[in-house]
Amino acid sequence: MIPATMLTNALLVGAVLFCLGLVGILTRRNLIVMFLSAELMLQGVSVTLVAWSRYHGDWGGQVLVVFVLTVAACEAAVALVFVLQAFASTGRLDASAWQALREENLPRVIDHELPADDRVVPTWPHLSPAGVVPEGDDSRSLERDHV
Amino acid sequence: MQSSAANLLVLVPLLPLLGAIGTVLLGRRLGPRAHLPAVAGIGAAAVVALLLLLGTAAQVGAGHGDPLRPAEPVEMITTLWQWATVGDARSGDLAGSLSAPVAPGAADSGGTFSIPIALRLDPLTATLLTIITGVGLLVAIYSIGYMHDDPGYPRFFALVAMFVFSMSMLVAASNFLLVYVFWEAVGACSYLLIGFWYTKPEAARAAKKAFLVNRVGDFGLAIATFLLWMTYGTLDFHDTHLADGTIVEGILGQIRLADEAGYVGGAVGTAICLLMLLAACGKSAQMPLHVWLPDAMEGPTPASALIHAATMVTAGIYLITRSAPLFVGCPGALTMVSIVGATTALVAALIATVQNDLKRVLAYSTISQLGYMFVALGTGTMLGFTAAIFHLVTHAFFKALLFLGAGSVMHAMGGVIDMRRFGGLRHVMPITAGTFLVGAFALAGVPPFAGFFSKDEILATLHAKAHPEAHGSDHAEAGSAGERPRDSSAQLGDAALRPFRPASMTTRSSRRGATGEHGSTAEKVGLDALDHPSTWRLLFWMSLLTAGLTAFYTFRAVFMTFTGPVRVPKEAGHHAHESPPAMTTPLLVLAVLSALAGLVLFVTNALSNFLAATPSLTAPAVARTAVPHVFHWDIAIQGTLAAAIGIAVAAIGHLGRRSDSPQLERYLGPLGTLFANKFYFDQIYAALIVKPLEALAMLTAFFDRAIVDGTVDAIGQVPLAWGSAIRRMQSGLVQRYALAGVVGVLAIVLALAWQLRP
Amino acid sequence: MDPVSTATVSPSGLLLAGSVAALAASLWLLLPKASDTVASRRLGFLLGAVALVGFAATGRSLGCVGEDAVFLTVAGIAVISGLATIVTRSPVYSAIWFAMTLAGVSGVLLVLGAQFLGVATIVVYAGAILVMFLFVLMLAQPSGMAPYDRVSNEPMLAAAAGAVLLGLLTLSIGRLSAAEPPACCRMPSRAQALAAAAAPADGAATKDDESTTLIAPAMAGGDTGDANEVAHLGAELFGRHLFAVEVAGVLLLVALVGAIAVVSRGEATETDHRREGR
Repeated sequence: MIPATMLTNALLVGAVLFCLGLVGILTRRNLIVMFLSAELMLQGVSVTLVAWSRYHGDWGGQVLVVFVLTVAACEAAVALVFVLQAFASTGRLDASAWQALREENLPRVIDHELPADDRVVPTWPHLSPAGVVPEGDDSRSLERDHV
Repeated sequence: MQSSAANLLVLVPLLPLLGAIGTVLLGRRLGPRAHLPAVAGIGAAAVVALLLLLGTAAQVGAGHGDPLRPAEPVEMITTLWQWATVGDARSGDLAGSLSAPVAPGAADSGGTFSIPIALRLDPLTATLLTIITGVGLLVAIYSIGYMHDDPGYPRFFALVAMFVFSMSMLVAASNFLLVYVFWEAVGACSYLLIGFWYTKPEAARAAKKAFLVNRVGDFGLAIATFLLWMTYGTLDFHDTHLADGTIVEGILGQIRLADEAGYVGGAVGTAICLLMLLAACGKSAQMPLHVWLPDAMEGPTPASALIHAATMVTAGIYLITRSAPLFVGCPGALTMVSIVGATTALVAALIATVQNDLKRVLAYSTISQLGYMFVALGTGTMLGFTAAIFHLVTHAFFKALLFLGAGSVMHAMGGVIDMRRFGGLRHVMPITAGTFLVGAFALAGVPPFAGFFSKDEILATLHAKAHPEAHGSDHAEAGSAGERPRDSSAQLGDAALRPFRPASMTTRSSRRGATGEHGSTAEKVGLDALDHPSTWRLLFWMSLLTAGLTAFYTFRAVFMTFTGPVRVPKEAGHHAHESPPAMTTPLLVLAVLSALAGLVLFVTNALSNFLAATPSLTAPAVARTAVPHVFHWDIAIQGTLAAAIGIAVAAIGHLGRRSDSPQLERYLGPLGTLFANKFYFDQIYAALIVKPLEALAMLTAFFDRAIVDGTVDAIGQVPLAWGSAIRRMQSGLVQRYALAGVVGVLAIVLALAWQLRP
Repeated sequence: MDPVSTATVSPSGLLLAGSVAALAASLWLLLPKASDTVASRRLGFLLGAVALVGFAATGRSLGCVGEDAVFLTVAGIAVISGLATIVTRSPVYSAIWFAMTLAGVSGVLLVLGAQFLGVATIVVYAGAILVMFLFVLMLAQPSGMAPYDRVSNEPMLAAAAGAVLLGLLTLSIGRLSAAEPPACCRMPSRAQALAAAAAPADGAATKDDESTTLIAPAMAGGDTGDANEVAHLGAELFGRHLFAVEVAGVLLLVALVGAIAVVSRGEATETDHRREGR
């Protein structure tokens, strides 16, 4: 048994996680991140269930969370397979790449301005070689410059 | 006897029906023998009909010998099953106001509307059944030769058998509603047979025309049936003995027939009779509804012979004869029958004089002869009714013969029927020529062929009406017949001045008056005023003139077709020879009948005595007009003279000449043009009815397309507009759909929160 | 913006409305957009922090948030990591932030007294599912960030919807604690009732009757937070919910077979693609 304040604490955390997951699944276009957001929503629900379970002293909530875990595992396995298939056919993990369901005379939604890649390319530390470079036969190298 | 006759009676329509069904089912498999089921069915029916005729004649037997003694009515009723029963059909306020003119019998029926499938056998039905099945059988046999190689061979025989079924049901039905049903059924068969070669535009158009014109008449019969139900409370011909001992008096049942005051006269009675006359005009091609029959010649010739000459077109004669007691109570309507008949006979004969199409000559001749029968019916005397049926019988023989002869010519000429294009065919096809000549003699009324006797009887009955005083000695009873017409004229005089409902009230009171209170004081008013000897005198001379014209156009056709140098059109090819035995045998049979039937039936007076036992003709008003069977030398001489003059004129014009040049027509001047254009009936109808209807149709079509369809389309545009507005949301991006769902859920939650706020 | 909060005009209502607005703005600023700048992101983080504090304060004023420091810490880790999970551009970083979230959630569960689930979450999610995600990322997107990771779908509307939903949930949770005990929860705990009924024989039953030991503790477990939590949960799972467990096992098997079937069917095309590419 937990006190009522603990219950509401936990419920609030669950609600926050659920809403964040919801926003994520609505906005993010990467299929993987969408799935992460879905899992985030599941986490919110799990917290809520456990909180109620503990509050009422009833195991049902926790048992349900066990099944949530199970179903999440199944879902992840199957969904990831589909994600891979989708990637195999479009080469992208973009949810917006799948627009075939639109009305037939509507134009395809296209991102007109994609932001420039503002990643800073890190300068990796460069170690100065120690010792002597072994003599090697380039022709016998295992490395191939073409595939 | 009763039951076995009844069982046999059922067979007469049933066998052709089975034949029709058999032809439909097996037609394709039987191939060139597809006629077998139909011919077998009709043939068996003909045998049964002949047996029934003999049986009925044996039963009538007692009436032989003394025509002045009213015959005992002979009828046998077979009720197969109840078709429809509506209990208490007369309840409600309407019935209260309409039950006033109901005849005494109607109250007994308890307001129950029931339609039994009842067949009747009486002399009239037996006679007509024999004609229908007999001529039907001969035509069917003829068709085996005529229709061979036609792609629609099985269809033709199925339709002919179907027609024989419908027609026998029409004359055997013992109920006005059944009569109406089969009235329509024969019309449908006629439509299908006229349009048999439906790929030919003329045939399709002619079928449509026949159907539509007939519809006008059918409308009359329908209204007449309604009026009969309202007036008499039943539609049955016969009396029905109910299980509880009460009796439903049929319209033509024994009880009502024996009752002098059993029939309603006045406005209602006249309306019923005139509507029936309209129906008869439609089916029997009388003016002004005769326009369909000449066009109906587009159908196969055997169908023309059977339906449009011998049987179906006589349905109108049958209807009026069957309803004789109703008509006799309304002298005005009765006179109208004669006037319509005489006018039609004369006009059709005039048109026939200038036709060049052999079948059309015969078609107009049919119209003319049917007009003759109507004239006879209109006299309203026993002699008139029997003469009409007598002429119907002989006409069925000789007109079927002429049509089949024309078909034989047409068959040999490769489908050419224009008389100007062939001639001298007696050398090519002697049997056809000989039998055709017999038919022509019969039609022209040359003694002693069949037409002479029947036409003579019609002229005699007209003469009796025109000169009542001259026939006074012969027709001792005829004077008493005058009473009733005068009574009913009083009713009409009362009734015609008032609107319908009070009129029907008055009718009852004046019917009471007919028993002697104030019946004989009124003058003849309105339609009934036509019933005057001078009218009949005019009708007599019109009929005599028609007889002469008939002889003229008949022999004009004979001379153009069969005499002169042999000329054969190109289309005939190798076909120009005598027709096969299947076609000539019926011709010979019919020729014998045409030559002898009149003489036999007239000398023995068998038909008249036989028909006098028909229940409808045993009504006192009809029965008392019976006259002794005499041969009127004066009228016979007049008729024969007219025929002789006609034949002589035709011989002067056409005998032995080339048939392709106009002979007498050129002397007619503008009249010739009038005749050749068929008195402009088609043009008048086109201008008065067809064109306005077409204009109305175009107007309604415009209204339908522009306004009705426009409204519907406009309503249809609304969801389309909505859809095209909302469809932009269908972007195919699943996340947007999910967002829309979340927003919707949120809206619901917010609304709930707002409602549940503390 | 929030009709509920404006309807009940009170300090806590205003605070809640402000928190909702701040959260929405923060989410909008933080989500990947074309017009992102470093400053806007910083503002977003700031606003997010403000919003979280606001929610916590609202919950506090409504009586939701207690004073358990450990709980606040792990909850804060979970929430902040969750926020980072959905706003991080690189999916790999997202996954790693999600692992942090899992850690926080696991902590929350432990604080709540659900030891088994806390551990199971780490084991199942972080150990299995998340690794699977990373494998997929490695297979599908080796280069890291893609253009579509740098834009998001309808960020403003979605952020607003999420924030409003959170505001509503917060409000209802607050009302739950304000009207203690809540009407929907007033029914006596079934476990409590059973415990009361079984109290006299409790000690004897657990020791004497071996056949009932599997179920009896679960039925009689008045406090689900006792030391034998795992044992009790197991007894509950394999006792009352045995059938459901079996079904879940079948489900797992079906998912396994299905995944293999789909992959092996698609493999041919995938290989073909690769072969053509080379």
